[in-house]
Amino acid sequence: MGSKKRIRLLLLLRREMRRLASRPIYWMSMVGAPLICFIFFTTLMSDGLPQDIPVAAVDADNTATSRSILRNLDAFQQTEIVHQYSNFAEARKAMQEGKIYGFFYIPEGTTRKANRSEQPRISFYTNASYLIPASLVYRDMKMMAELAAGAAGRTSLLARGYTDDQAMAFLQPIKIDTHAISNPWLNYSVYLSNTLLPAVLMLMIFLVTIFAVQTELKDGTGRQWIELAGGRTWLALFGKLLPHTVIFTLMIVFAQIYLYKLLNFPLNGAMWHMLLLGLMFVLASQNLALFICGLIPSLRWSLSLATLWGVLSFPICGFSFPVMAMPPAIQSLSAMFPLRYYFLIYVDQALNGWSLQYSAQYYAILLIFILLPLTNMHRLKHSMLNYEYLP
Amino acid sequence: MNFIKNVINVWNAETRKFIVDDGVLVFFLIVPFLYPLLYMYLYSREVVREVPAVVVDDSHSALSREFIRNVDASPDIQIIDHCSDIEAAKLQIKNHNAYGVIWIPADFNKDIAEGRQTQVSIYADMSGLLYYKSLLSACTEVSLDMNKEIKAVRLSGLSDREKEVAVQPIEYDYVPMFNSQNGFSTFILPAVLMLLLQQTLVLGITMMAGTERERRRRKNLRLTEEYGSPIDVLTGKGLAYFIFYCLISFYVLCIVPKLFGFNQLWNFFDLAMFVIPFLLASVFFAISLSTFVNDRESCFLLFVFISVPLLFISGISWPACSIPTFWKYVSYIFPSTFGINGFVRMTNSGALLPDVKTEYIALWVQTGVYFMTALLLYIKLYRSESTPETEEEIAVDLDVEKDED
Repeated sequence: MGSKKRIRLLLLLRREMRRLASRPIYWMSMVGAPLICFIFFTTLMSDGLPQDIPVAAVDADNTATSRSILRNLDAFQQTEIVHQYSNFAEARKAMQEGKIYGFFYIPEGTTRKANRSEQPRISFYTNASYLIPASLVYRDMKMMAELAAGAAGRTSLLARGYTDDQAMAFLQPIKIDTHAISNPWLNYSVYLSNTLLPAVLMLMIFLVTIFAVQTELKDGTGRQWIELAGGRTWLALFGKLLPHTVIFTLMIVFAQIYLYKLLNFPLNGAMWHMLLLGLMFVLASQNLALFICGLIPSLRWSLSLATLWGVLSFPICGFSFPVMAMPPAIQSLSAMFPLRYYFLIYVDQALNGWSLQYSAQYYAILLIFILLPLTNMHRLKHSMLNYEYLP
Repeated sequence: MNFIKNVINVWNAETRKFIVDDGVLVFFLIVPFLYPLLYMYLYSREVVREVPAVVVDDSHSALSREFIRNVDASPDIQIIDHCSDIEAAKLQIKNHNAYGVIWIPADFNKDIAEGRQTQVSIYADMSGLLYYKSLLSACTEVSLDMNKEIKAVRLSGLSDREKEVAVQPIEYDYVPMFNSQNGFSTFILPAVLMLLLQQTLVLGITMMAGTERERRRRKNLRLTEEYGSPIDVLTGKGLAYFIFYCLISFYVLCIVPKLFGFNQLWNFFDLAMFVIPFLLASVFFAISLSTFVNDRESCFLLFVFISVPLLFISGISWPACSIPTFWKYVSYIFPSTFGINGFVRMTNSGALLPDVKTEYIALWVQTGVYFMTALLLYIKLYRSESTPETEEEIAVDLDVEKDED
């Protein structure tokens, strides 16, 4: 780099740092907003799994057996019986009012029928419009029902002289054994925070990058900015966005150190794989935003598109609902979101700890995002020099 | 009477203003119109089906083949390959061809024949909770069915009824209420719709306020150009947004779910009574927030990202009973917290207004509080207009004073 260029670059860097320092909105959105979200998500779900979800019981049988079933259910960590209702309608009403997430129903005569081998039926209900608590309540209640049925069966088998192992082999000839190494959904914070933190940062990168670039047009300083770079678009962009890159990279490195070192979230691969991913993700997000600036030379419209892209990233990256189960058109569309690749690489590298080669294709696609502005930055320069801001 | 005249004038002027502002209309019209459709389309399949999995069958028996056939036949799982060992199977996962492995041990058939308990192992890919669920539930269902058959064979001396009772001494039923399919979009959509109403109101209103600030800075516009006192202007503007959003809410909350055949168990009158304070609280909340906005576009940077935490803090995905106290109090700041909870219960479980009393009252309290904060903001704005703002102006004023001395 020639010395003239170097001086220009220094001037550009100084200019941008002054701009960043002069407006609180930059600090708020580059550091404040992501930090608030980092702290929010990790403290919100710091329990890992919800504890003592309120449920209720309707014990119409009211015998020693039925009471012992309910006592056992209460002993499960995730559920707590907060109330006993005298009939089904009352329990249903409480669920409607949002007081409980589920209830266990033991009809009258259960114990009597069980003793007479008449195969009684117990039921449990969950409020499935709340998916996470409902699935946990379901798990505990199903376990309880199985245990109740198993206990009755075991008692009669042991009475016939079976050993414990023989009884289990009789009751459950085939058992399903699950293996999920460093199982992320035993802890929702691990499952969600690993994607939500970079996702929020990405949203802010989109918006701040576009805001910083297009505000030049709005304030009428675009020409001065490009001229300071001697008319070199790339120098102008580099000088402008390098301070952003540094701040955002520090933010994502902070997030990763916070997750993997402080909170000890599972990291089965090398830390530097994640750091490389972090850097590439920041660059990919910045450059996708730049590409949008080149596409639409209007502050407001490019911000609108970036907002849509950023907000849509959350569902479409597939971390909560798999992309595989989305309609084909959406599956293809999901390829155009950097967050998708962050998520896929995180799964391969941090959760599964596989070698880099299995994620190579995803790193390569992030590289394509980084190169996107090559296609249309001449348009950005043109608009900086010639366009007027329209509110 | 003057008050009513002023309010109507402001309402009229404000509506005319945003109806021609395409920046605001993106938030007020395009997003509420299109985003729910896009979102619904995304989750239109509700549940995950036919997750690709591979199988390692070390048993090579009729029984193991039956197990595999039954799993493959279930709607949750599709067996795409048979692998010779676990390593080969894991490679299929690493290459992202399959999301799960089912391993049947060599002793599978022998164990069952000799009355020992045997074990089928499943390995799930980490990338999605729902893959794991599909794999686990498909295998569990198949094993339960086969267990019944195996037990029935062992009890060959008994009558059919006796067998049934011995196999399952107590029966049980599971009923997922208020979302009978356990569907993903039934769970997330009502919350997203309410949040969308609040957030587009916040973005649109703060964008308008930002535009006004910019114009005022350029001295093209003074508040006094508009009509009446702060309370007249605030009421008029609030009314303009509120009435416009009554129409938007009808589309978002009533028509969108209908288009996609969703639960709609609400009673229209109760729902309308509930949505009124929700909209009013959101409108005045947004006007109060506009105090942080200095120009037209800063709303994007300040308020878009809040949507994500707001969805989580509302208690829909993460249960309200597990939200730490501090965040619970924070959640009371936002109309969406109460709006989402009330609407979800009304639409999914047919709750009536008395069933959502707490939320309903909270929204009216918020309406009152945010009306007051918005009013304070307007009074402050009016005051700042009547006092000189820039240093030059102060200097000029001082000069004038000197001259007068």
